[in-house]
Amino acid sequence: MAAPFTRRQFLKLAATTGASAAAMTGLQTVLASGAAHASSGEIVTAAEEQIVPGVCLLCPSGCGVLARVADGRVVKMEGNPMHPINLGALCPKGQAAPELLYNPDRLTGPMRRIGERGSSQWESITWDEAVQLVAQKLNDLRAAGHPERAVLMYGETRGQLRAFLERFFQTVGSPNTISRESLNVAAAKLGTYLTQGIYDLPAYDLEHANYVLSFGASLLEAGRLPQRMVSGYSFLRRGRADRGKVVVIDPRQGVTGAKADEWIPIIPGTDAALALGMAHVLIRAGLFDSDFTHHYAFGFDDFADGEGKLHQGFKSIVLDHYDPARVEQITGVPATTISRLAGEFAGGKPAIAILPGKGGLLNGSLNGLYAAIAIHCLNALVGSIETRGGVMTQRYPTVPDWPPLPADPTAESGRNVERADGAGALFPLARHAYQAVADRILEGYPVEALFLYDANPVYEVPGGARFVEAFDKIPFVVSFSSFMDESAQYADLVLPEPTFLERYQDDYIEGLGYPGIALRQPVIAPRHDTLNVGDFFLRVAAAMGDPVAQAFPWRAYEDVLQYRLRDVGTDWETLKELGVWMTPGYRFTRRGSERWVNEVVGADRLNAPRDGRFDFYSRELHALLGGLSNEQQAALGLSQTSDVVSLPHHEPVTYAGDESEYPFLLNVITLMSLGPYSAAANLPTLQEITGMTVGETWDSWLEMNPEAADELGLRDKDPVWVESPFGKARTKVRLVKALRPEVVNLPYNQGHSAVGRWARDRGVNGMALLNPKSEPAAGLAAFTNTRVKVYRASHIADG
Amino acid sequence: MPRWVMVIDLDKCVGCQGCSIACRFENNTPVVKPSEALKGRAVRWNDVFPLPVNPTEETGDFPNVKTRYLTRPCMHCDNPPCIKVCPVQATFKNEEGIVEQNYARCIGCRFCTVACPYGVRYFNWHAPEWEGALQATPLLPAEYLNPDRIEGGGVLEGPAVRPKGVVEKCTFCLHRLQKARARAKAEGRDFRADEYVPACVQTCTGKARFFGDLDDPNSTVSLLAKSPRAFRLLEEVGTHPKVIYLREG
Repeated sequence: MAAPFTRRQFLKLAATTGASAAAMTGLQTVLASGAAHASSGEIVTAAEEQIVPGVCLLCPSGCGVLARVADGRVVKMEGNPMHPINLGALCPKGQAAPELLYNPDRLTGPMRRIGERGSSQWESITWDEAVQLVAQKLNDLRAAGHPERAVLMYGETRGQLRAFLERFFQTVGSPNTISRESLNVAAAKLGTYLTQGIYDLPAYDLEHANYVLSFGASLLEAGRLPQRMVSGYSFLRRGRADRGKVVVIDPRQGVTGAKADEWIPIIPGTDAALALGMAHVLIRAGLFDSDFTHHYAFGFDDFADGEGKLHQGFKSIVLDHYDPARVEQITGVPATTISRLAGEFAGGKPAIAILPGKGGLLNGSLNGLYAAIAIHCLNALVGSIETRGGVMTQRYPTVPDWPPLPADPTAESGRNVERADGAGALFPLARHAYQAVADRILEGYPVEALFLYDANPVYEVPGGARFVEAFDKIPFVVSFSSFMDESAQYADLVLPEPTFLERYQDDYIEGLGYPGIALRQPVIAPRHDTLNVGDFFLRVAAAMGDPVAQAFPWRAYEDVLQYRLRDVGTDWETLKELGVWMTPGYRFTRRGSERWVNEVVGADRLNAPRDGRFDFYSRELHALLGGLSNEQQAALGLSQTSDVVSLPHHEPVTYAGDESEYPFLLNVITLMSLGPYSAAANLPTLQEITGMTVGETWDSWLEMNPEAADELGLRDKDPVWVESPFGKARTKVRLVKALRPEVVNLPYNQGHSAVGRWARDRGVNGMALLNPKSEPAAGLAAFTNTRVKVYRASHIADG
Repeated sequence: MPRWVMVIDLDKCVGCQGCSIACRFENNTPVVKPSEALKGRAVRWNDVFPLPVNPTEETGDFPNVKTRYLTRPCMHCDNPPCIKVCPVQATFKNEEGIVEQNYARCIGCRFCTVACPYGVRYFNWHAPEWEGALQATPLLPAEYLNPDRIEGGGVLEGPAVRPKGVVEKCTFCLHRLQKARARAKAEGRDFRADEYVPACVQTCTGKARFFGDLDDPNSTVSLLAKSPRAFRLLEEVGTHPKVIYLREG
């Protein structure tokens, strides 16, 4: 295509192809009328252009995009100015999306394995064959009375897709739809649930906050919603008259700490102690919101239960155990700093303490969960729950219920079987324990069909190699990946889904509190023989026959979306045209009001009363863990007993690896450039800019404090081995002063052995070094409890 | 006649590199091979980097370390050293103050890359050498190349794919200005200065970038240029840059 058009040629073309005139945008008309020029050259552009809205999916922010489609090709991505998360902005990942769409390593159609598992021998099949194979397998499982042996592991299922996939597996008869959240947001969600009674991430009103305390997690680079946080941060900084203050608490400074007003390099795994130390100062000085703690909270003071038994409350545990002098010993943060932070937090209201989406909290022991609870309690303590400039509760658009599931005894019995990941049983606090699926299968949990949607567990979980062993025990593995990633390599069927620019999918707007919806649509026709996973399961349902088919009366996933989105406030055509629809403006609820009780505090509680009281003393934890014996509690990683179990407190982290042999803590960091998703590692532009902060490109590196390196005799850029009890990797050391000396950082999303030509054999995967053991109570993956040693690698082998 | 100026508020910039990559896709700058990137031959007209460039030279010692990040387009100097050394007038300042680069005239002598004190002129050491659909050579454009270009009458400018051996640089997205002007003319009205921003300004995640006419006393950039936080890079060398930074804090 694209032989250069001169204006003259263009005029000729326009004259002869009158039919396309209607599709021409204003600009082409312009060119035909002769343009004004600043230089002697003339502007030449495409013959036909469209701007089509969509939603990015290269990180979980869900930014609205506008794709510039010139002559049928996506040539540029812009942010959608109407989308409230990014307000027209777009990060480098979104900008690089054309490299995803036109990536030469994309899978071009459905394939069936013909050689040995993992031998990369495939044959093309048709979608009809794929549908038949999957329908047959699921029907066989149902006929054998074990539909629960079909398991779905999923990553990002945006909008209706999660409910749709859950519905499909429930209809088939499996409780096993397992989210990746135990690798990222589960600790923060559980922390909110166990206190505020809402199982979701809080939304933060950064725009009106005066003081922001960010605990870990790279707010501006790689949290759950980086672009949302950047937009809020930018407004807080310079979008209004009074500039808010941002304090980052993180062992590593990173870009977020560098851009903050203050960086507190805390000892890893001690966030709970710092938060409680601040609480101590706030309570001692009477700087807390006593209206909130007395009327809308539970367990702030000591209390007597229904049987007259006395219990310890938040106030007494904090006053007894967390005076700043002791907290300084635990956290390494000076007592004067703790007092000052507390004073600023209460004096600079509205103030927010932000929970990280991943990273520091996921440290393999209950410590992380108590840290999330303690941090969220700070918000409650100063009355920031549901106040302007404080913490909001995310609302979602109203969607109609799904039609009732058909009566089906096979499915009903399957749905009641214990889950494959052990959530709710082995892990009593967990909703999902993604990384534990491999262990459970290797221990004998029977799985006969595994479906991987946006899931690459072989690469993305600590010690992912055990998933390869687990796959050996599963006769039928299906991946929906658009690329031949590390997990798809071992699948029996690979059924590529279209990229986010080629499919229908809705997206909830998260992070601003108020409800909103955005829509992905095919901005160009799918480039390859791919099928939306929703459409695929609709066809499988139809092929399976009743009763499964009965539950899915839709012809296409687009129809499912139209059904579910009919009450969002706009019609389908408008949604397609604008790409986004919302009810802007968060409506804060009055404390104790009906909406407060129904929507803001306590609504999701399963065991504790839904009484609109914020739990400083977690009645939910008391119900789940309080009745256990001391031994059972200890087995879950609890060093404390009695009431302390239900109260936020500092639990020492148990590290994998002996300190004398493995002196460093390994911190696997997510970057703004490569982000959290495997496919992004195969975009050459993102590879090129991956190591901006240290001047690295196309590679991994290990960040180390120069003093620590000095003791080891290492200089900047020396080749090193990083070795944990679980594996070792060779990379180069980069000296970074803004880092605690006992911590080393390894960036995530390098070291792929598959995915594509640009991702493969480049750098190292830190996940292979991390402790594969799940946290025993909440089933969280362990990201920050692995010790490593670092030593010089031979220069000779230095490629 | 507008006088185009960019203002970058470093207090809002979060070093995300969105500007860098928006520029890449708007202006068709090639990805270079990893080995070339290691030599510092990556072509990103608006690069983002830490200051100091080597992290071990960060100011202060742990824990009192301060790292800064800088995003750096062409400064579009009012007194540009690069145009004076060009033996063939391939680079020149137009009447609105934008420093242009004509690939059709450039002979690749690289005098300008040396003369520029900001290091924002990039030489094409190789024709891009990618495989498959991502191939971006002048003969076979990648499928997602921006089709916009400025050409004719011995001129080849803007996002037009460059041949090996020429120098290229940030143009303040001159082609976007020309398109905006053409649109205004077609709609029979006067062009307004706020109808056009470069791609980096449009995409900025932190809303840190502003663009406009410095001759208009009421434009955002004019107001921001008067901020006590405003400074220009290497003001002392007399280049009079038209990119104005606002310092942090």
